[in-house]
Amino acid sequence: MTEFYVFVSGPLAWIAWGFFIIGSIYRLVSMYALAKAKDGSSLAYMSLPYSLRSILNWLIPFNTMGWKSDPLMTVATFLFHIGFLLVAVFLGAHAVLWDTAFGISIPSLPGGFGDAVSFVVIAACAVFAYRRLALPHVKGVTRPKDWFSLILVALPFVTGVLAYHQVGPVLLMTTLHVLAGELLLALIPFTRLSHALFALLTRSYMGSEFGAVRHAKDW
Amino acid sequence: MHRKNIVKLAASMLTILALVAFYMVPVAMSQDDMTQVPADAFGTLERPRVAFAHDAHNEKAGIEECVVCHHGKTEDGKMDKENSSEGDPCSSCHAVKPTDGATPLMRAYHRQCITCHEAKGAGPVACGQCHAK
Ligand code: HEC
Ligand code: HEC
Ligand code: HEC
Ligand code: HEC
Ligand code: HEM
Ligand code: HEM
Repeated sequence: MTEFYVFVSGPLAWIAWGFFIIGSIYRLVSMYALAKAKDGSSLAYMSLPYSLRSILNWLIPFNTMGWKSDPLMTVATFLFHIGFLLVAVFLGAHAVLWDTAFGISIPSLPGGFGDAVSFVVIAACAVFAYRRLALPHVKGVTRPKDWFSLILVALPFVTGVLAYHQVGPVLLMTTLHVLAGELLLALIPFTRLSHALFALLTRSYMGSEFGAVRHAKDW
Repeated sequence: MHRKNIVKLAASMLTILALVAFYMVPVAMSQDDMTQVPADAFGTLERPRVAFAHDAHNEKAGIEECVVCHHGKTEDGKMDKENSSEGDPCSSCHAVKPTDGATPLMRAYHRQCITCHEAKGAGPVACGQCHAK
């Protein structure tokens, strides 16, 4: 078990990061090529000011009609995305790993806070799941791949909290957590979660379309 | 037994207990009885203390040389693997927040303890195994 953990937290972590970085570059480059081939003129109309205007406006909760129309989702998705980034990058335990492995000290969340944010993120995932089960207009468009990416995202949080609170065998839980985190990292470029790479670009496209092309008073 | 004798017996047993406890104190201050890694230098702790029965650990792990853990410091500030430093706390050379470019205390502990356990494939390696509740 110790040897397995050493493998999972060592070589396998490098492999997962490799998939994530090379996969992301590949997806961005091939998407650019596709856009150029299918809709070349739109690239010429991309406008930086209108892109930024759209992105900024959508970054403010309840600022856009989209956010106003679904308050539960708006609250859940803001808490989820902010919490996810905070925990993934600045969790105390993750900072300790960077410190031990590479001697890099990154700022980190105080212990109790990181724990609390993790619970908030799990609650937000529960809201996402509830919508997909209970609301007809969401249920109707839900495909297995939506469930797959939701589970992929929730797993590191659930196993991480269990490992931190030492529920169940500690070494096993920590190993499962690291595996779950690496699976997520490696699959981000190749699942619905690739919107993490594309969301800002799709938003820019919409913003440019409405601002620079249609001159609509909308973002 | 008479009540008087019971009192006498209890009194002498108490005396013996007190003496034993008195003689134990210096022993408890030495590494023979170390049960946890000292953590005073950190101030308030984020994590539970780490169990470390000094002598039992080294016997079980088959470590003969003290210098494996208690290395010294050479003239030019490098790690000295010849001259050991047992008795000096790690924090005397590894400050929690060093200003002289030395390895910080937490990293020093993690690298020393975890690196060996990983290399041997034995001993705790996950956070919760060392920082057990
Ligand atoms: C596996 C690593 C390890 C080995 C091997 C080791 N020690 Fe230690 N020892 C420690 C740690 C950790 C401390 C706590 C240091 C501190 O206070 O910062 C310690 C503390 C001590 C102390 C101070 C005790 C106290 O209560 O402050 C003495 C004395 C000591 N060791 C002697 C020895 C001797 C002699 C040997 C060789 C026979 C030895 N050690 C081998 C890890 C080790
Ligand atoms: C007499 C001073 C001194 C004491 C006491 C001391 N060290 Fe060190 N240690 C050094 C020096 C000097 C270095 C090399 C420079 C550096 O990395 O800080 C070093 C390096 C290290 C490294 C390697 C760091 C790396 O980057 O790989 C570890 C691990 C370490 N010490 C752990 C410990 C532990 C644990 C203790 C207590 C058991 C301890 N040291 C006690 C002086 C000391
Ligand atoms: C040079 C190698 C080495 C170093 C350094 C080392 N250990 Fe170990 N440790 C071992 C080995 C080997 C075992 C497994 C012993 C066994 O169970 O056979 C072990 C086991 C343990 C155990 C489990 C003991 C038990 O009774 O099962 C603990 C706790 C532990 N180490 C703590 C520490 C801490 C804390 C440090 C740092 C201060 C440390 N070790 C440094 C080699 C090392
Ligand atoms: C092999 C044992 C070992 C493992 C595994 C280990 N630590 Fe530690 N850690 C120590 C020792 C020894 C100290 C110094 C003494 C203490 O703090 O009790 C320490 C200190 C710390 C400290 C600074 C003191 C405090 O509590 O604020 C933090 C934070 C910490 N460890 C977090 C972690 C995290 C997170 C992990 C997992 C990624 C981890 N440790 C894995 C042995 C270990
Ligand atoms: C390479 C991938 C990863 C590795 C090696 C890793 C490693 C760790 C370790 C060692 C812990 C500490 C467990 C403990 O305290 O006992 C931890 C905790 C945690 N990790 Fe990760 N992790 C990874 C990816 C992720 C990802 C992608 C997420 C999700 C964003 C995540 C979320 C968490 C959470 C929520 C905790 C517990 C927080 C708490 O309750 O305090 N991890 N991780
Ligand atoms: C630049 C970063 C990101 C942006 C701009 C972004 C944006 C968005 C947007 C606009 C949505 C759709 C609206 C919604 O359903 O709330 C969404 C949904 C979602 N995002 Fe992100 N995202 C980012 C990063 C991430 C990351 C890193 C993850 C996790 C790996 C993630 C996981 C999710 C999930 C799981 C959903 C959908 C929940 C569901 O309906 O089931 N996002 N994101």
